[in-house]
Amino acid sequence: MTELHTPHAGDDRAADTDVVALLMRQHGDIRNLFDEVEASTGEERRDAFRRLVRLLAVHETAEEEIVHPFARSALAGGGQVVDDRLTEERAAKETLADLDDLDTDDPKFLPRLTRLRTDVQEHARAEERYEFPHLRRGADPGRLAALAKAVEAAEAMAPTRPHPGIESPAANLALGPVAALVDRTKDAVRKAMGKDG
Amino acid sequence: MTFNPLEERGIPLDRQLRDWSELNVEPIDPDRCDPYTRCRIITMNGIEVEAILFSHHLARNTVDPEVKRQLARTRYIEAQQQKVVNWLLPGVASVLETTIAYEQVAVDLTAWVARMEPDPYLKQAYEFGVLEDFDHLYRYANLYEMIEHRKAESIVEGLTEVMPGRPTRFHHRDPYDNVRDPYAKDGTDPLSKLHTLTIMSAEQQTMNFYMNVGPQYMEPIARRLYQEIGLIEEEHVTHYESLVDPGETWWEQLVNHEYNECYLYYSFMEQESDPKVRAVWELHLNMELEHLHIACDLMRRHDGRDPASVLAPRLPNVLTFEPNKGYLRELLDTQMDLTTLGAGYVRDAHERFESMQERIHGGEAPPSDQVIAQHRSMFGREYRVQTDGEHPDPARREK
Repeated sequence: MTELHTPHAGDDRAADTDVVALLMRQHGDIRNLFDEVEASTGEERRDAFRRLVRLLAVHETAEEEIVHPFARSALAGGGQVVDDRLTEERAAKETLADLDDLDTDDPKFLPRLTRLRTDVQEHARAEERYEFPHLRRGADPGRLAALAKAVEAAEAMAPTRPHPGIESPAANLALGPVAALVDRTKDAVRKAMGKDG
Repeated sequence: MTFNPLEERGIPLDRQLRDWSELNVEPIDPDRCDPYTRCRIITMNGIEVEAILFSHHLARNTVDPEVKRQLARTRYIEAQQQKVVNWLLPGVASVLETTIAYEQVAVDLTAWVARMEPDPYLKQAYEFGVLEDFDHLYRYANLYEMIEHRKAESIVEGLTEVMPGRPTRFHHRDPYDNVRDPYAKDGTDPLSKLHTLTIMSAEQQTMNFYMNVGPQYMEPIARRLYQEIGLIEEEHVTHYESLVDPGETWWEQLVNHEYNECYLYYSFMEQESDPKVRAVWELHLNMELEHLHIACDLMRRHDGRDPASVLAPRLPNVLTFEPNKGYLRELLDTQMDLTTLGAGYVRDAHERFESMQERIHGGEAPPSDQVIAQHRSMFGREYRVQTDGEHPDPARREK
């Protein structure tokens, strides 16, 4: 069996001139992390799950800051589309909070993870179909590129992938709580969008 | 096997109509399904689409309004069957994921049929075609990792290998060389007729799918790759449909279609691992038995012949989705450099082939080469799934 590793969006050598392409690749990265959590146990699973939580936090925050506001203003009926996505995100966050309270080897963990995975996947496809095309159509290329850089920067500040030597949960904790990660992502994205940084 | 569709009775046609709630089937879970369940769904969708299109063409060539009405009644049920079968596919799958599953079907269905085909000329036609589907799978798998950061492995799950076949750039032949010689309807094994119909239908559905979904992509490389492979599907439909004896009457062809549907639903019912999907195959088999009887009546009435004279005495061995890795590796080792000349096959590039190549490529690398180059520059490697070792052809090993 091949053991090819797919790097995360931002770590591949794509030009990253389009935030939509970047977010779509992150959707795949998130699915890959779900696979990793499901396939591992013990310490490894705990570590993979931490990374999944962090990537979800960065990714969803970036989308809340970039994609949804754009869809709301640019689309006829965009308000409803965005409200649907926000409802899905809220539901996913609740499942995630549930999961966060469980030990990753608890027998209840995997069934709940599966539910979260289904919710996240449906949410991602809905974005790809109903919001991303409008973002690509409506935003100029310079904007799409700047936003891509912002998302990349946010992810770089919040390591969501294993780094040699600091793979223990303690090291992950040292990177700060998820809430701080969300704040840092917001700052980076807002700066790139030309709002107050 | 003792199952003889001609002796079985199914559900009476006037009891086959399903209401909205019965049509509203629950789709499979793309992350947890048996990949071959998805392959069976895609195959049966292609078969039902062919059933519908064939019946429409027959109706357009039918004068008697009562016969037209009879065809319309069966066809409406077939349209419902197509809806149920294809709607087993999940909305959360992306177009590219479904595409990769289509290519897994093309590889493992065609390879199995080639293995079982008794007629050497027909067998060669499948062996020739499968190396091209095999290469398409590899090209789309590379595109998939570029756009969605996912591995085709998560779809094919090690049942089918992903690596270069006959390079896609060489699939573009002069259309003259895509037409094969037909089998002889009275001399050929009835199994061969079923094989041809099955592969022709699957390729036709693939052609229809790519020609319609390709432009939904925004990424230039994706749009271009669907355009290129879509044109090869046109060649494949030409290749396989020309194997069918055009001397078969319309009614005989109708009987063959219905018999093949019985054969495939029966085959898939025997193998299906997902109980909900298995229930669909079983129900549809019981519907098809009746469609077959109606078709047989039409053939008796219009051709004055007994349908049993053109059909197998009993169903052949079940058509099976299973890995064909060893067989494919053997073909990769021996048939990579074939092309067609007239209705035959040669190893040398001939004048008509070269002229077509020159005109279609217009001096630049085709999208199928560009997708690999772009993937390489993004990841520093290609995407392959080689479960059974290195590529059999040293020239096709990754450098």
